[in-house]
Amino acid sequence: MLEAVHLTKRYASLPAVQDLSFSLRPGQVLGCLGPNGSGKSTTVKMLTGLLQPTRGVVQFDGHNIQDNLAAYRKRLGYVPEEPNLYPYLTGWEYLELIGTLRGMSQRDLETKINSLLELFSLHPQRHASIGSYSKGMRQRVLLIAAIMDNPEVFIFDEPLSGLDVTSALIFKNLVQALGEQGKLVFYCSHVLEVVEKVCSDVLILRKGVVIAQDTVENIGHILGQSLENTFLHLVDDVDTLSVARDIVTVMKMTAA
Amino acid sequence: MITEAMEEIFRRWEEQRQRRFWRMVQLFVARIFRGGGDSDSEGFDLGIGLVLTLLALPGGFVSLFLLDKYGTFLQWLRGTTVDPLLVVLPDEYFFIVLSMTVTGAVAVWRWDAIFPDRRDYMNLVPLPISTRTIFLANLVAVLFLVGLIAFDVNAASCILFPMVVGATQSKFLFFAKFAMVHAAGVLLASIFAFFAVFSVLGLLMAVLPPRAFKRLSASIRGIVVVYLVTLLCTTFAVPNALRLAKGTAPSWTFLMPSCWFLGLCQSLRGRAGPVLTELSGLALPAVAAVVGVALCAYVVGYQRHFVRIAEIADTTVTARTPRASRLGVLLDNLVLRTPFQRGCFRFVCKTLFRSEAHRLVLTAIGGLSLVLASQALMDAFQSVKSWRDAALSPDALSIPFILSFLMIVGLRLVFEIPVDLRSNWIFQLMLDQNGEECEPLARKVILILVLPWLLAITFSLYLYVQGWVMACLHVLLVAAWAVLLTNIVLIRFHKLPFTCTLPLFKQHSFVTLLSVCFGFLLYAVHTPEFESSALENPLRMIGLVPVAVVAWYIPHYLAKSTIDIERKLVFEESPTQTIQALRLNE
Repeated sequence: MLEAVHLTKRYASLPAVQDLSFSLRPGQVLGCLGPNGSGKSTTVKMLTGLLQPTRGVVQFDGHNIQDNLAAYRKRLGYVPEEPNLYPYLTGWEYLELIGTLRGMSQRDLETKINSLLELFSLHPQRHASIGSYSKGMRQRVLLIAAIMDNPEVFIFDEPLSGLDVTSALIFKNLVQALGEQGKLVFYCSHVLEVVEKVCSDVLILRKGVVIAQDTVENIGHILGQSLENTFLHLVDDVDTLSVARDIVTVMKMTAA
Repeated sequence: MITEAMEEIFRRWEEQRQRRFWRMVQLFVARIFRGGGDSDSEGFDLGIGLVLTLLALPGGFVSLFLLDKYGTFLQWLRGTTVDPLLVVLPDEYFFIVLSMTVTGAVAVWRWDAIFPDRRDYMNLVPLPISTRTIFLANLVAVLFLVGLIAFDVNAASCILFPMVVGATQSKFLFFAKFAMVHAAGVLLASIFAFFAVFSVLGLLMAVLPPRAFKRLSASIRGIVVVYLVTLLCTTFAVPNALRLAKGTAPSWTFLMPSCWFLGLCQSLRGRAGPVLTELSGLALPAVAAVVGVALCAYVVGYQRHFVRIAEIADTTVTARTPRASRLGVLLDNLVLRTPFQRGCFRFVCKTLFRSEAHRLVLTAIGGLSLVLASQALMDAFQSVKSWRDAALSPDALSIPFILSFLMIVGLRLVFEIPVDLRSNWIFQLMLDQNGEECEPLARKVILILVLPWLLAITFSLYLYVQGWVMACLHVLLVAAWAVLLTNIVLIRFHKLPFTCTLPLFKQHSFVTLLSVCFGFLLYAVHTPEFESSALENPLRMIGLVPVAVVAWYIPHYLAKSTIDIERKLVFEESPTQTIQALRLNE
């Protein structure tokens, strides 16, 4: 089980995340929603061990992950928000690097890389440099890198950005399958429909604080509306329709 | 009245600056200095001010150092007087070569940023601007760049050098004439160098298919860098050779444009002999020719590459799957024992040979090593005739030391050049920060890349010339010294190569530079001298043991005395704040 216990992170004196607590059980797919600047990325970085919390701990199977980060990360698959990859390596070489660093055996590595590249439709481009890949292709490389060592915990930060429709559908089904396999999945996204479809539970953040946490159905039931409307109701005090009208007005505006 | 006129001029200038065409020119000038190329790399960005200062420094410093030669007071103290126009030849040649080398190097370094690329295409072509306007804006930016670099590189020497040379002369006219001729010579040399590099690369770009050019570009630029470094190394020998040449110009001078511009300067001063007069005739036509060729190549290259970018596939797909070679398997089993070392060793090697900035710096260091080694080889044969005797001279023995020193220090320097820092996250996520494996990894990379080929060649040559005892002793010493030097250069190295920002101008940079120069003397000059005398009586080699012990002990001691927090793997060295708030309320 992965647990965030009273997590707080401050940048200088500004709080990015405050007193965040939740737990992630095997088989649970927890969606994390929140507007820009709500602390999603900071939370993800603390869960992966890339950032140390100012206060609180992240525990995996009852142990603070900071005590043995290397062991925790061996069991972690992470897809970051931005597909930053070394542009002069080929897709195959990048995955080989990741597999080697994860300590996978050479034989397993080659078989898995080739199979996964085939399944993610990247096999024909496997020896082209990543610099020439589109955003979606880079995203697929990251997904393969995250899953190829069969980890127990998955942290996905906007994993669908840039993916084509087919790959996105495959990925959504994959996330559900991972949940069914008893994996722990933490899924950050802006796309509410995907979270609604894929996740069993939802965590809604606003200004670094949890404002709602429950199953997808319960959250909808409480306010008697869809997740999208619930989200807007909880997070933003913005009349989206009037903002859209204002934008059109500004577009038509001339200096004279 | 004057203020109003000035304000009007500024207002008009501002108006012009805001026009579409000039905004694009500004954009191209900025990207030339701040980066370019299709990669998203943010590693090697120095900023315009720092680049210009760095380029201007050598000319200024060298001019000031020449005070010793031309200063009236120092001449008076020595009881000698010199005719400045007579003794100026080697210094003038040096300035010409310096301006050519620096400007040529800038053209090589910024080539990718000079020419509009896919990123420009994606950003500019969808806008309502014709490709012809983009072409003209880029051309103006390139011409502005040439002028700026030529002016910047030579500005200090155009003022200081004539002042230093004219120190003994009472007439201002002498200074003015000398300065004008010097400025004409070095500026033309700079312009020539820039457009010559542009012509070579531009012609290849115009002739070769895009994919082939992309593959070959870095190698060709490497060759140009080696040529420029070689040119710089000729400054000590060429002026004397030109002075001694009689009759017609020797054939080698036609391969060295620096001689043509020296001839031009001396002709304008009326001090050129027949050889320099003949060479001076080549300077202006050569400048005109390279400018013409460069512009033609630019037009054709633009048409072939930029306008058709959307049609050119950016992917180079090979069907070949890399197979683990026997050597790779052997390395994995014997040398690279942990997953960290196996993964990162390949990553480091691929970065060294694929990242453009790293390849260029490595090529320059390789070129410098080769030039110094060949000079040592020539010196070895100057006093002796037979191979046997030459092989035991300090000069010949120093060759593997020179090569290993420069390659080891060079690789250590290259490790500091970052590559796409944003992609570091994967190492931050996957590596054990307390693993302490970076130093052993860097040591293995350096030794594997430098020692095998160097020792094999040295051993074979000495085995053939001197027999196996001498071969073994020499190779053993080179290997031991290389290992010790590697240990020293990796003191407190706690980061994965290429994953931290470039530590420019740290407080101890000057001390480091001095240490490198002193180390070179000790390693590549004094050790071979001692070895040369010790090889006559191999027992004397024991004298090197205490030196080796000290050299081994220092890094070992420093490693032991490092506190735990400093042993942690470093990823990004954020600049230290001058003032730090204590934030006691947290």
